[in-house]
Amino acid sequence: MNLSRTKIGAILAAPTVVYMVIFFVVPSLILFSYSFWSSESYRVVPDFVFTNYLDSLHSAVFWKVTINAVRIGLTTAAISLVLAVPVGYYLVYVSRSQTMLYLILITWFSSYLVRIYAWRTLLGTNGVLNAVLLQLGIVDHPVDAFLFSSFAVTITLVHIYLPFCILLVTSSLSEIKPDLIDAARDLGTSSLGAFFRVIAPNAANGLAGAFMLTFILVAGDYVTPQMLGGSSGQTTGLLIADQFRKTGNWPLGAAQAFVMFVISIALYFILVSLGRATGLIVKRRTINPKGI
Amino acid sequence: MAAIAPIIEIRNGTKMFGSFTALADINLSINQGEILTLLGPSGCGKTTLMRLIAGFENLTSGTIQIGGVDIANIPPERRPVNMVFQRYALFPHLDVFENVAFGLKVKGMPKEERTERVNRMLHIVQLESFANRYIDQLSGGQCQRVALARALVNGPKVLLLDEPLAALDLKIRQHMLAEMKRIHIETGATFVYVTHDQDEALILSDRVVLMEKGRVVQVDRPTEMYAKPKSLFAAKFLGETNIFETTITAVNGIGTTARTSSGIQFHSSETLTKKPSEKIAVSIRPESLTFQHKNPDAQSAECVVDDIVFMGSRSFYTVRLNDQSKVRVQVQRDGRLSVPSPGDKATIFWDASNVVMLPRD
Ligand SMILES: Nc1ncnc2c1ncn2[C@@H]1O[C@H](COP(=O)(O)OP(=O)(O)OP(=O)(O)O)[C@@H](O)[C@H]1O
Ligand SMILES: [Mg+2]
Repeated sequence: MNLSRTKIGAILAAPTVVYMVIFFVVPSLILFSYSFWSSESYRVVPDFVFTNYLDSLHSAVFWKVTINAVRIGLTTAAISLVLAVPVGYYLVYVSRSQTMLYLILITWFSSYLVRIYAWRTLLGTNGVLNAVLLQLGIVDHPVDAFLFSSFAVTITLVHIYLPFCILLVTSSLSEIKPDLIDAARDLGTSSLGAFFRVIAPNAANGLAGAFMLTFILVAGDYVTPQMLGGSSGQTTGLLIADQFRKTGNWPLGAAQAFVMFVISIALYFILVSLGRATGLIVKRRTINPKGI
Repeated sequence: MAAIAPIIEIRNGTKMFGSFTALADINLSINQGEILTLLGPSGCGKTTLMRLIAGFENLTSGTIQIGGVDIANIPPERRPVNMVFQRYALFPHLDVFENVAFGLKVKGMPKEERTERVNRMLHIVQLESFANRYIDQLSGGQCQRVALARALVNGPKVLLLDEPLAALDLKIRQHMLAEMKRIHIETGATFVYVTHDQDEALILSDRVVLMEKGRVVQVDRPTEMYAKPKSLFAAKFLGETNIFETTITAVNGIGTTARTSSGIQFHSSETLTKKPSEKIAVSIRPESLTFQHKNPDAQSAECVVDDIVFMGSRSFYTVRLNDQSKVRVQVQRDGRLSVPSPGDKATIFWDASNVVMLPRD
């Protein structure tokens, strides 16, 4: 049998495409059409109105929780990336071993909820942190501000998503040959200079990708913020989930989900334009590749 | 030759990778301003030696001095050395111009001067019209020229070149060789050059360092190394040669005589420290053999012509001696002389000065 490359490509990709169409594209479109329906006393009515979007955009609560989600997402993604880059650098260029990476990823084998409860145990009024501080006499009664604060939320989210971020950073760094560091140093940069002048620009797209993926996962996580942030942990995800689970206002929930989707995309473009404007992400000129 | 003052001095340099010895007890002085070529089979440690000088690896034991200073604790960026990498190591996020300008920019050279120097260098390597291309839009040979320009533009005291011309075709290689000689004279820099190509080594070098399995086996001027190899390995590696297994028959004031088991006799005017009946290898280059004897003292052997390969100004003959061993003879074209044809019986002649006797491996 003689198959062209495009045909083989199509055959290989088909199962995934079919799966994604059935279980992602179609439900997304259904959800999208829901966002234009109306809801009357717990009943959803097919319609074509923009009230769900307008209500969301005019709702102070929606903006409060959305800004909260974006803030938590950006802080956590930024902290994770800053922590992940040196680790990735070490894994790719210094130790050159896969074992360390696997050890880091093993933390993912523990249950997500267990880790959340572990942090509650650490940070609560009867928790380890307070016990230590009391013992040392640094405080004279337990501090309840550790738990149910954005501090607790951020520290836990960083803990949960850091391995993922390290994985992404490591894979984007491993595409950059270590020779380039040698060459940069040979031409007069320090090893830190080699990182900023050569590794970072070449990895910029990958690092921006790692940042954004971490951001999206974190901004959409409504369990951790709720369980560790208390009232300060209200995020869009929670609000949306409530529309579906409690108030039964699916059209409003769908509209809010799409607003959040648009906000994420907008943030991505803002990030990339910022990167390009500051020269951190190199935008390549395209040249007629004649004769190559 | 340039003034004799070592700029790089390697003493007892040993480099291990785990339990593997990549370089064993290297002692080497590199003179100020010379072109020194590292020559040797793949994996003999040429790149490793360069990386040690550049500072990307550290010696397991021994010392390296540059300009009289031990460089063990000096990082690569502060060594007065630039390297052209075997695999180019060009920066993919920068275009050709920016790649070449990188070192000057790091050093903070003003933009105007920098642009001028880079453009001059791009002119030398004939890449002016490619200044705005990215690296993945270049051919292998073009990449190699960018790598060369990126190192040369910094005007280093020592330039390390790891097979910089390997990917170029003959014509541009000859052009680049001439350019490199010119740049070498112009800058007065010391060149340490790695190549697999003997012709390149012979054309370019003031001295050749021949390496084998992590050791330096001979350091000599190219002509010396070609004419007086000190080992069978050196004789075989540099140029083509005929090797005869012989036994010494006499050692005296007028030289050494040795004979193959089939009775062919070789006489060398050198007096060896060997004794009769010891085994020794004799090496004679194809161009040192002739079918016409000009010298009454010439030595000779009978043969039958097997095959002739015509190569323009010269021809290569394969002849068979009476013990059936094959010998290559190079004949310079000369219309006045008659030469044998395939199948003919003939006699090959050689002079004592061309007989090189070498210890067997
Ligand atoms: N980082 C390393 N770890 C382990 N072994 C190494 C390392 N670098 C080089 N070697 C080994 O050291 C030996 C010398 O390598 P080197 O690259 O110096 O050879 P070379 O003479 O430059 O060869 P070529 O002509 O093929 O470029 C080789 O056997 C190689 O496998
Ligand atoms: Mg090499």
